[in-house]
Amino acid sequence: MLEVRNGGFETTVQDYPGRIGMLSLGFAPAGPMDDYAFRFANVLVGNLPGTAGLEITAGGLVIAFQDERAIAVCGADMGARLNGQPLELWRSYLVRAGDLLEFDYLQGPGFRTYLAVSGGIDVPPVLGSRATYLPGAIGGFEGRKLQAGDRLPLGEPMTDPAQAAGRRVPASLIPSYSGYNEVWEVEATRGPQADPDYMTAEDMAFFFSHHWKLDAASNRTGYRLDIHKWQWARESGGAGGGHPSNILDNGYPVGAVNVCGDQPIILCIDGPTLGGFICNAVVAKAAMWKLGQMVPGWSYIRFKEVTLEEAITLLKQQDETIHESNLERS
Amino acid sequence: MAEHTIKSPLPGIFYRRPSPDAAPFVQEGDTITPGTVIGLVGVMKTFHQITADVGGKLVRFLVENEEAIRPGQPVAVVSDEV
Repeated sequence: MLEVRNGGFETTVQDYPGRIGMLSLGFAPAGPMDDYAFRFANVLVGNLPGTAGLEITAGGLVIAFQDERAIAVCGADMGARLNGQPLELWRSYLVRAGDLLEFDYLQGPGFRTYLAVSGGIDVPPVLGSRATYLPGAIGGFEGRKLQAGDRLPLGEPMTDPAQAAGRRVPASLIPSYSGYNEVWEVEATRGPQADPDYMTAEDMAFFFSHHWKLDAASNRTGYRLDIHKWQWARESGGAGGGHPSNILDNGYPVGAVNVCGDQPIILCIDGPTLGGFICNAVVAKAAMWKLGQMVPGWSYIRFKEVTLEEAITLLKQQDETIHESNLERS
Repeated sequence: MAEHTIKSPLPGIFYRRPSPDAAPFVQEGDTITPGTVIGLVGVMKTFHQITADVGGKLVRFLVENEEAIRPGQPVAVVSDEV
């Protein structure tokens, strides 16, 4: 059991890859925004990489443990302390009943951090996943973010917590996060509605070279980018609507860059599953984790074009990287 | 006279008013107590209150209304001399 003393700003139970296969029913996958840090935290404590853990956004979480478990915290530095002592990120620890884990606010680059506990968070799966889908208020703990007084059941650990503790992710595999006012390079493929049919070649060249500012009003549903006056390849959306960004409603890929009039919005893992605006690019799945560490209102994005084959290769490399055989004993 | 700064734990946009048409939460020179709301931080389409952690006189704000702020950034100065 985990006892929540303070839920922080926005802490949710997530699993990976979330509620997949449900887009046609209107359910986004949900899951961790930074699945790289999330999966490595699980591997560190001896869990399968997708086991349910906590996504901690911007800090403030305080929890007490009631069992002996291995834990790991991976992601942004929020000055985590275990019983008052600083906790190293990307490393597994043994905790005992009565131990207290506290997160302060963000201490540097990055925006989210992940807590994995051996055995995982054993909330009931909803439609096949424990991931919290906030817009639909389902999954996770009562379909909502955590608050003081919540008690989260834990699963049975697969490995001895004492054995899983004391390991670390090697420095070479810990990503560095772009800081405030700095640019994140994000790999993306051309989307289903790009040039020459919907946008001009100049529009796409601008898209792949501009440093897009991430708006403060960005969350797990969508990441809003700068307003831009596109040239457009069409006069109107035809049967889809009056504006050239309109199309007949169709399904949206997860990670699509959805251009609504002048504004591009990246559809994140809690995003809409269909609609009637063009998607001129799609963020590579292996680059989605970067979105999770961007700071709304401060980060910039440059999209780096990759082919579908390159995107698949990146994903295979990432899946192979997040593996127990790559950990070090500390 | 001792001075203290009130910090924002969150990054986002700092607002001095509860809504665009409303009066500011507090004015420079006002006396505040621990827990007084001095502003909001808007991020991820939600608003979080910034509250005073000490009492005294709010001497001045260090950031403008609707300015982007970083986590841990001081937003106002409080003096214990009321």
